[in-house]
Amino acid sequence: MSFQDWLFSFHLLFAATLVGGLVMSWIVIVALFSTNAVAETLGFVRVARIANVAILLGLPGTIALGIWLAILRPEFHPWDGWIIAAIVLWAIATAAVLRSFVEYRKPAAKARELAAAGRLGASDVLATLNRTRTGLIFRAVGSVAIVLIVIDMIYKPGA
Amino acid sequence: MLAAIRPAGQDFPVLLHIVGATIVFGSLLASAGSLALARGQVRILRIGYFSLLFVALPGWILMRLSGEWIYRKQQWDDVPEQLRDPTWLRIGFGVADWGGLLFLVGLLVGGIAIRRLRHGEGSGLLKVTMGITIVLAIGYVVAVWAMTGKPNYGTTASAQAAAPTASATAVSVSASEFKFVLSTTSVPAGETVFTVVNRGKVAHNFWIDGNATPLIAPGKSATLRVTLDAGRLMYMCTVPGHAAAGMKGSLTVR
Repeated sequence: MSFQDWLFSFHLLFAATLVGGLVMSWIVIVALFSTNAVAETLGFVRVARIANVAILLGLPGTIALGIWLAILRPEFHPWDGWIIAAIVLWAIATAAVLRSFVEYRKPAAKARELAAAGRLGASDVLATLNRTRTGLIFRAVGSVAIVLIVIDMIYKPGA
Repeated sequence: MLAAIRPAGQDFPVLLHIVGATIVFGSLLASAGSLALARGQVRILRIGYFSLLFVALPGWILMRLSGEWIYRKQQWDDVPEQLRDPTWLRIGFGVADWGGLLFLVGLLVGGIAIRRLRHGEGSGLLKVTMGITIVLAIGYVVAVWAMTGKPNYGTTASAQAAAPTASATAVSVSASEFKFVLSTTSVPAGETVFTVVNRGKVAHNFWIDGNATPLIAPGKSATLRVTLDAGRLMYMCTVPGHAAAGMKGSLTVR
């Protein structure tokens, strides 16, 4: 395998980590939607950490190696329309996903606060925070942007 | 995700394959994470199992069927025996098929465990399912590496940079998307030097009679010296899908 083959392979491994992390985060989000118990919420927060790490590794890894490859490979250029489109979509996805992290930190903080007070049962406040519409919308926007990047990368319009 | 420009008609199955594979990978992570971090909480254990059943299983079916679709589109059954099913492809199919079998075992064991959870049992069996999902997740990482990096493929060392000698027959080959144009369709038996120029926008190579040039970048060229016996020899580009799209033909050796 050449150096470029390794770069390409790691570029796609980061991409798989990113999309896999998003899939995992959606499973946790759907599970959180029907949860109002403190102990369960804390459990899902623990699981969500794996997804968050995968997303936080995947986002910069994919773009950094992608741009590097676009510079190295003679058939592509960083100023190609489909690559610029991917960079713009990546920026939108990153902003939206990071904003959704802020929203999903709120139920985690509330669950820890209730647990510290010895209340491990159901909580209406926690149920509302677990069903955050803002967090859901931002995560959906981020996920749609990532799906569009995948489509853009496969079809490469204009290449 | 930069990837090679593919022949028309292969993009959609590739998209489905990638979507299926990432769904499987993400749900394996979700399942392993839930089963490992549940700390006995039944609902989180159930989520761990149902991630496998309702997310990973449909993802696996999508990935496997679209993988087969790509295999047929790229006409792997028609390529010469030496080139058929290279290592990276065998790794991909191996992880998908043997991993699929292991996955079904994990689902079965997990299903029994989930039923036993009602009676306060089954956590030991769920550990087996968790172990299987971790092994599968690692397998998928290896498969992604193999399918994208294509180790030992496309950089074959059999190419020789050589100028035609007086006794050798010179054949110039123009490669582009997705066809070869040869300066002749017939050569005498004996030493032949192919000078292959890539006039296309993506990398190609030229394979004939068990010998191949390395991958040739756009605008670059390579030479290949081979000794040919009389007969009708197939030539092709071995980049996946390129031969199926038209980069193949036959050369008559007199």
